[in-house]
Amino acid sequence: MNPLVLYHLTALLLLGFGLFGLTSRKTLVGMLISVELMLNGAGLALVASARLTPAVDAVGQIGTLLVMGLAAAEATLVLAIILVVSKRYGSVETIDISKLKG
Amino acid sequence: MENITEYLNSGVEYLKYPVFGIYLMLIIVGGLTAVLSKNLIRALIGLILTLFGVAGMYFLMSAPFIALMQILIYVGAVTVLIFFSIMLTRAPDGDAGMETDGKKLNKQIILALISGLAPAFILGIIIFQKMPDALPLKPETSITILGGLLVGPYSLAFELISVVLFTAMAGAVLLGFERRDKK
Repeated sequence: MNPLVLYHLTALLLLGFGLFGLTSRKTLVGMLISVELMLNGAGLALVASARLTPAVDAVGQIGTLLVMGLAAAEATLVLAIILVVSKRYGSVETIDISKLKG
Repeated sequence: MENITEYLNSGVEYLKYPVFGIYLMLIIVGGLTAVLSKNLIRALIGLILTLFGVAGMYFLMSAPFIALMQILIYVGAVTVLIFFSIMLTRAPDGDAGMETDGKKLNKQIILALISGLAPAFILGIIIFQKMPDALPLKPETSITILGGLLVGPYSLAFELISVVLFTAMAGAVLLGFERRDKK
């Protein structure tokens, strides 16, 4: 068990938590929280690979920064979508908004 | 001690694993809370705990800039956004941020467990089969180098992420814009 494997297993743990939450949560906000968990796992794996393997260090760190920027953009957009959905349907439960018109 | 890397590679190396364990604990407890708690505010607190744990791991890998960005962007901005979306989506019967109990089918839980465990299991097998060797920590990459790369060879990615952020903000404003004339 070297540090690299430990870090990657931690990232894997975050991915597992995120996927479990994404499928078991019933509200859009809960799903958003789970997505953030998964993105964190991705960042952790990137930085661990950059720091502890012969790969170029700075590139991995920049990749993680870009992941963080994307996560911020995604959270903004999801906030707007959640607002619109809750205004239109009066609820953010996935069961209420999964019906097609008709 | 001016350089974290030297510090971590030197005499106090035996401290690495206990500290890693503490951060791992933070991540596990926070992650479980974030995924399982019925109260979404508690789930958000769990998420914050996890984010701090991951930031600690970045520090442990002597990437302090990334760790500080993690705290600044995630804990400072993203969680506030999530908090807003909890606050602004109050259910008609009162409580904000509670997931209804409902009939949470056992089948659903099992399916969710499978969908979470299967990819983790497969990737875990791959990690254990490869078991790549870890180098000792490299010297810390200074912010100067990171910034130089961002405006030099990776300026396209930098500009694209700016465009994505701008589009997201503009889209959010557009979506949130309330039309007055239509009742």
